[in-house]
Amino acid sequence: MDEIDVFQRVLWGIAISLDGVLLVLLLKRKNHRVFPAFFVYILVDFLQGFVVLASYLVWGFDSEIAGRVGWGTQAFVIAARALAVAQICGQVLAKYRGVWALAKRLLLATAAIVLLVSWAVARGSWQFAVLNADRGMELAVASSILILFVFIRYYGVTVEPAVSVLAIGFFLYSCFHVLNDTILERWLYNYSKMWNLVGLLAFMASQSLWIWVLRERQSATTREPKLLPEGIYNAVTPEINDRLRALNDYLGQFWNVVRKRS
Amino acid sequence: MSLLFYSFFGLIGLLLILFVWLIRKPRWTAPSSAARGADDECECRHMAYLPQIRQAFSDSDFDFLAKNVSREVLRRIRLERRDVALAYLAALREDFQSLLRMARAIATLSPELDTVREFERIGLTIKFAWQYRMIRWKFLAGTAPLAQLHGLSDIVSGLSVRIEAALNELGERAALAAELASSMNRRGLGAG
Repeated sequence: MDEIDVFQRVLWGIAISLDGVLLVLLLKRKNHRVFPAFFVYILVDFLQGFVVLASYLVWGFDSEIAGRVGWGTQAFVIAARALAVAQICGQVLAKYRGVWALAKRLLLATAAIVLLVSWAVARGSWQFAVLNADRGMELAVASSILILFVFIRYYGVTVEPAVSVLAIGFFLYSCFHVLNDTILERWLYNYSKMWNLVGLLAFMASQSLWIWVLRERQSATTREPKLLPEGIYNAVTPEINDRLRALNDYLGQFWNVVRKRS
Repeated sequence: MSLLFYSFFGLIGLLLILFVWLIRKPRWTAPSSAARGADDECECRHMAYLPQIRQAFSDSDFDFLAKNVSREVLRRIRLERRDVALAYLAALREDFQSLLRMARAIATLSPELDTVREFERIGLTIKFAWQYRMIRWKFLAGTAPLAQLHGLSDIVSGLSVRIEAALNELGERAALAAELASSMNRRGLGAG
């Protein structure tokens, strides 16, 4: 443990404590019923802190075994984070059945493509396999949240402020994690301590956001919109699209005339 | 430094910019019922000014002015008409967006969506926005002919009327179906 600076140890302690505060808040305000996957994620992260701490105490910070324990447990944390993000997406869009069906397909496709691309463009060696998988997952999480907000904006879906803040926390942390992993890949050994420190600070920023928004009890039920009968969409949408296309064609012809004359 | 190293930074920068743009306050929200959406969106009120706009952009009007007024007055009239053309374009865009809002409201409240149609509409929206901007810049630069503007509004107004009619018809059909179902239920209860 002596290899870790006092400052970093203190920050680590604060991050674990903030996880504890979040867990207490979630339970006390009964928000774990509203965000069960988020609760599981914080719990897994909280437990990982103790497991990694124990491995450093037993085998030392620079040991290979401690490294494996750290990355191995990280897989559970990332999986829990992905589930928490999936639940947030569902909470926002599931009440709009049609939009949710479309969004689900798009979110899954985006996550799969981002994972594949980030794996394909990364360095091929197995030395970086875990790091690349970690970065790919974080990039997939960030992209999924971005797609979620595209749907929210495009379809004008109302979102509970708490859900929005949770998503923002995940998005910012994932973006920061991708950058941090990219720097670590370049300067592997020289940057490892700094990587831990910067990662901790970014996570603490997200934790503060979540604590701020979960300090109050969130309502479990949201107003369900009354959906239209099935025929309306199929009857009206082709008509609207045809007319929008006609309008575009006219604007295109007009633009061509303008371009020729000028 | 490798290209890959910078490309991850560029990608994250792009994601952050997009995210900030997306979390700005939205200009509209999904309606709670279809009827409200249909009532609000079909107005297309700018179409009422179509005859005046057509008159202002007609070639004969320009010819008449060119023969009868000084160059200075003609220049001023051209500038004023350019402003009118810009306002007209903006009004058409507003009408386009109203129709688009209605389409999105219907999509939001529908139990099933067609992916192709949804993506097609996104494509049309992007195309319209691009063409609108280009034409607007041409007008501002003073290089666009005003006479080409008429006719645009016919498409928009025609669309509104047809969609409104389609919605009314579908509403009537839905009400009829509900009435039939309820009368069948009543008969079923009576027989039992």
